[in-house]
Amino acid sequence: MSTAAQLSRRDKVLIHCAPIREDRVDDRALRTAVHHARKTEAFAVQQSFDKAVIALARAVPIPKEIIEWVPTESFIATPRRTWKKYVQNPVFLATGIAALVIAVILIFQLVDRLNRFPGETTARRLLTTAGSAHAMMLDPVKTDAGGIGDYLFMKHRLSHYDVPPEFAELKTIGCRVFDDEEGQRVAQVWAVEKKMQFFLFPAERDPKTGAAKHFTGWRYVDQDRWTGVVKEQNGVCFMAALRGNEKDLAPYVSKKNE
Amino acid sequence: MAEEKQDLLQLYRFCFLMLADAAKAQEIFHATLREAAQQAANGEAPRDRLWFFRNARWRCLEAGEQGLQAEEADLEQEELAAGAASQIEKLEPQQLAVWIAGAPDPQRSAMALFYLDEFSYRELLSVTELKPPELSKLLRDGRRQFQAWLDATIPAGQP
Repeated sequence: MSTAAQLSRRDKVLIHCAPIREDRVDDRALRTAVHHARKTEAFAVQQSFDKAVIALARAVPIPKEIIEWVPTESFIATPRRTWKKYVQNPVFLATGIAALVIAVILIFQLVDRLNRFPGETTARRLLTTAGSAHAMMLDPVKTDAGGIGDYLFMKHRLSHYDVPPEFAELKTIGCRVFDDEEGQRVAQVWAVEKKMQFFLFPAERDPKTGAAKHFTGWRYVDQDRWTGVVKEQNGVCFMAALRGNEKDLAPYVSKKNE
Repeated sequence: MAEEKQDLLQLYRFCFLMLADAAKAQEIFHATLREAAQQAANGEAPRDRLWFFRNARWRCLEAGEQGLQAEEADLEQEELAAGAASQIEKLEPQQLAVWIAGAPDPQRSAMALFYLDEFSYRELLSVTELKPPELSKLLRDGRRQFQAWLDATIPAGQP
């Protein structure tokens, strides 16, 4: 056994309060102090001293009147369950986690629904087309994008297939018109800037009334590392697409506001 | 319930150690339980067992004020002896109670509560309303003073 000199000052202070029973040591610092002091002779003497005094205190006789008088009912209030205890209960914990997961899924679905717009499915499909298209496939049309609407009307009789003002000043390389899987007439235009592609296609229609489903503003959509920004006007959707993300398209669509 | 009964028996021992007088200890024990019963009847039952010891402690101190007062004197101290346990074994519980009851408070409360071997460290701090260094000093000095008293009363080696 070594001397108490090896104990820190803090340990020396705490060790004097060390209860005999280890289950009574409910403080981390005291537990550490006891652990350090266990090998010292002074602590062994203290423990032996304390045990003897405790045994003497336990020998204090209890009068018969006290034993008889101790009531059978409890005077101590039943402890209230705090929210911490509820949280630690596995049943509540599991239910809470499940509710949280459901809430997160619902929020994701809600956000996803809020971001959806009529024609989104077509727009995604066309982004896939954009990724596999080559300039060779197009008829060479070198003009301002703003003039492509007239070209499409004159050559293909497609009315309202106009490029919005935000992209009207960009130069085009070529253009083609094709029927997509649903038999809709789609115009595909190549621009010089950032190898951007424009798509013009009919807006989604209400199957009952046949009326075009309108939406306001620009909506983003992405597919296979391609990003598009879509706007509906006069029953025709315009999508500008490029290989990149929203940040690359944002300057164009905010141009008009400036 | 059995545990609570055991706690209440310890409460009596605590009163006895604080006062060294069985009749007074019994009186305070009853008074404490009566108050707990009244509170329970009013729907404000004590929150935990510590309430009983806190309540009894103040009653004991109040009762102690009416009798002879312990003096704040620097009692002689001795290092704990390896053979202290055998010296203590020769004592009667009444002698221990007389020694503890003669100590000034809060040393008296600290030693009575500590040697009941009923409380955890944090509970001890809570009931005595002391800070760790204060409790530590009181218990350290208490042990050494008790050792000095033991050496004077039952010298080591005495049969």
